[in-house]
Amino acid sequence: MKKKKFLLSLIVSIVIVAIIILFLQRLFVPKYATDIKEGAMINEYYDDEKDNDVIFISDCELYENFSPITLWNEYGITSYIRGSAQQLIWQSYYLLEETLKYEKPKAVVFNVLEMIYNSPDDFNDQSQREAYNRMTLDGMKWSISKIKSINASMVKEEREKTGYWGYIFPILRYHDRWKEIKAEDFEYMFKNPKVTDNGYLMQVKVNPVEGEYPRKPVVDYNFGENAYAYLDKITKLCKENDIQLILVKAPSLYPIWYDEYETQIEEYAKENELPYINFLEKIDEIGINWDEDTYDKGLHLNVYGAEKLSKYFGKILSEEIGIENRKSDDKLALIWQNKTKTYEERKLRLEQERDVQE
Amino acid sequence: MKKTIIGILVLSMVAALCLAGCGNKKSEESKEDSGKAYSFTADGKKISLDQDMSEVKEILGTEKSYSEAASCAFDGLDKTYYYGSFYVETYPDGDKDKVNMIWFADDTVSTEEGISIGDSVDKVKEAYGEGEAVGANGIEYKSGNTKITFIIDNDTVSQITYEYIH
Repeated sequence: MKKKKFLLSLIVSIVIVAIIILFLQRLFVPKYATDIKEGAMINEYYDDEKDNDVIFISDCELYENFSPITLWNEYGITSYIRGSAQQLIWQSYYLLEETLKYEKPKAVVFNVLEMIYNSPDDFNDQSQREAYNRMTLDGMKWSISKIKSINASMVKEEREKTGYWGYIFPILRYHDRWKEIKAEDFEYMFKNPKVTDNGYLMQVKVNPVEGEYPRKPVVDYNFGENAYAYLDKITKLCKENDIQLILVKAPSLYPIWYDEYETQIEEYAKENELPYINFLEKIDEIGINWDEDTYDKGLHLNVYGAEKLSKYFGKILSEEIGIENRKSDDKLALIWQNKTKTYEERKLRLEQERDVQE
Repeated sequence: MKKTIIGILVLSMVAALCLAGCGNKKSEESKEDSGKAYSFTADGKKISLDQDMSEVKEILGTEKSYSEAASCAFDGLDKTYYYGSFYVETYPDGDKDKVNMIWFADDTVSTEEGISIGDSVDKVKEAYGEGEAVGANGIEYKSGNTKITFIIDNDTVSQITYEYIH
């Protein structure tokens, strides 16, 4: 009898402590609702409709340069950007692998800048690299793809400190945040506000290009073996699923896209019979004006530039890749009408905030 | 009931100690310092990697040109200052900008060990030793939390960079 009572007390104690720890975990994990919104992006996909003919996979060169709402309104193309801040190619592969468990698009768009990063330990600032990893990985639902992505992404410091446990129990990573807890941590403990429009992170400020960016010396222009291995995996995964992979280089002026990088991608695209579009070579055709269409001096487009680029790319998707115009689908049309409304409201709100600040 | 409460308290303390232990690990770490750091001197003015850029600006004066690039998500900019014969790139560290990288723009400057763009690879090895091959045609030397890399084309130095190892 005494033993039973003791066991029961122990079980109850463990359950209560677990609930307290889980509660604290929910509280301490960053919400990415107002400050660094990029951290909220990956998770938003799961609540969205899964009927996209085009999936974009990559970093800010895609999620700040292309507007899925524009692709719909101009061409009736459904799309989603599974982007995250400084997403690396192995993360892109596992995100794509995971996405294909939810839907099968007709095309996947991948930005080739990621090829310049070969390994998680290539980065000088390991703690910032780890923080970027968290923004991509924490938002993924648990799956084999997530586990593999964590394994491929962890920097040396992470492996030595918390390893996988830091991902299984994020409180091990974020317990230091007790000093930074704000009202939003309570407000968004269980549900984040939507920060993107089908994965597009809108920017409305105008900050013109001021001059050329310095061409930092590169010890080795050759893309690494690991990067090529993952590009091969992405290519193969798309082929196996009858998906058209489209390689692109977004029109971002920095990091510098050297001719030596361009040559390698052109060769890869030719060998694998993949379309490759370098938008840096089509600035005039697209109609990008570096005085008006960028919010950060040419690193990324603002919404005005993203809409221009999307109109240009949408024509290619429609006429050359053959992505169907689905505006005649009433159910889809209603869904995207609502998405457009949210997009336009967000644009107006951001523009008003911008104008007040200026 | 008493025992239940004691049980909860004990388990909570254990959990708290584990989390506190994780916090302590970070503060106990320190970088291994394996030697004197490389520094760069131009016109008798010496600057170091990881030095506060505000100090560097006082030493070097006004730059000829400046550019900045933000990262994907974080506050802070990678800033590059051009001083005519060399570039200085910074990284954000809290509210300071610190020297992350220095690279040469021409052969009018040299390393403290006397190597300039255009010098032979033999001269580099005489000054620094064998070094470590990096990339397709680089030789790298590490000292302290710094490294210096020489890119070699046709046995001649075509580029010299200093980098801070974070």
